[in-house]
Amino acid sequence: MDRPVLAREIARLGITVHIPPALRTFTSGQDEVYVEAGDVAALLKALDAAFPGIRGRVVDETGRARPYVNVFVNEELVRGSLAAVRLAPGDAVHILPSVAGGSIG
Amino acid sequence: MGSVKKGSTVVLVGTKKGGFVFHSPDRRRWSVAGPYFEGMPVYHMILDPRDGRTVYAAAPNPGEVWGPALYRGRLGSTPALTKGAPRFREGSGLALSQIWHLEPGPADSPETLYAGVEPAALFRSDDRGDTWTDIEGLNYYPGRDKWTPGFGGLCAHSVLADPRDPKHLLVGISSVGTFESRDGGDSWKTENRNVRAGFLPNPYPETGQCIHHLVWDSAGDGSIFHQNHCGTYHRGPEGGAWTEVTKGLPSDFGFGIAADPLHKNTAYVTPLIGGGNRVPPKGQLAVWKTTNKGRTWKRATKGLPGPGAYMGVLREAMSADARDPVGVYLGTNTGQLYASRDEGQSWKAINMSLPPILSVNAGLAL
Repeated sequence: MDRPVLAREIARLGITVHIPPALRTFTSGQDEVYVEAGDVAALLKALDAAFPGIRGRVVDETGRARPYVNVFVNEELVRGSLAAVRLAPGDAVHILPSVAGGSIG
Repeated sequence: MGSVKKGSTVVLVGTKKGGFVFHSPDRRRWSVAGPYFEGMPVYHMILDPRDGRTVYAAAPNPGEVWGPALYRGRLGSTPALTKGAPRFREGSGLALSQIWHLEPGPADSPETLYAGVEPAALFRSDDRGDTWTDIEGLNYYPGRDKWTPGFGGLCAHSVLADPRDPKHLLVGISSVGTFESRDGGDSWKTENRNVRAGFLPNPYPETGQCIHHLVWDSAGDGSIFHQNHCGTYHRGPEGGAWTEVTKGLPSDFGFGIAADPLHKNTAYVTPLIGGGNRVPPKGQLAVWKTTNKGRTWKRATKGLPGPGAYMGVLREAMSADARDPVGVYLGTNTGQLYASRDEGQSWKAINMSLPPILSVNAGLAL
């Protein structure tokens, strides 16, 4: 598939969410899934509707991303409010554990 | 988890890097199963004494960074995630960061389990950990915004569920103090009378005490032993104010405390120098025992490291079994697990090479 066709196809599917290995128990092993949402907070809710329980691993009860869990939109790290980060069809979201070396623990 | 024979003495050890289960038919030769939850901190792992087979463990979700979780399994199998973990109510502004302590409920409610968590709060499950009730009377206690965390965080690390009265609960919170409920958790009052907070301008405030651990006295009458940042305490069956029983100990600081399950008024502690220097006095790890509610204490060092020993014993890292004679166990924050088969008189290492030990829980496999 050439690039423009591929881009159109991805946009048609919605937003691509790349699932880290630790959370693939929720997605029956799928490493990427497609979701429609207008922002990152809504995306996590939509993801949870499809795969119950997954949102609680990414954010805490206040809706903030857990420490050492990073959400990227098109390779850009999301900082601050997840609801403030707009999404559009064709965007790619990565959920990744961060590297936290150097702790005395 | 490997085979654990019925009748074995079992010592469950939570460490900074996984959980281990030591078991022995005679408390002389120990086998080990594990590690479970490899690489992850296990704050508390217990054998439910109500059935002698169910193991509960507080550890993170697999991968560690995905939030705190609870695991349940049968002794002899690998514990699995429960369906849910404690969660604060929406809009509370609170978010669970750690489960510190697991406490079985009364014998006639075998599916009830309490969890003391960080930020300081208590949750109850009535289905063996799958769903949880937010104990709102404590968790949204008026004035909690003024609570100050201890060095280990604002954690509810001690939970006592009264075996005589299911509505009687106590919770220890660092560094806030002890809270007590007599109506099943609907309402709470502080109970810190006579407990020192030597680091505050008023050394006897209503709250602000740096409680380190609470354990029932096996008198079975509601008496309690209490190790604090500022002293060791006992409270009699009448409840109410505490009596300081530090006199006779080498310091007023420590974390580890275990009650003797067979002998009332009897407990074991491991005093540390205190302040920022949380190591045994004179570089000698020692267990001090009282048989009279803390009126007098006797030191035991036989088999324990020193001089030249500079480890600590954390708040959840002492426990005792209910065999006769009673076995006592302690884990160090440098990864040594010690056992006494003679009620604390002499000690022997079970394992010298564990990760830093966070919790020790002794029981009997049924």
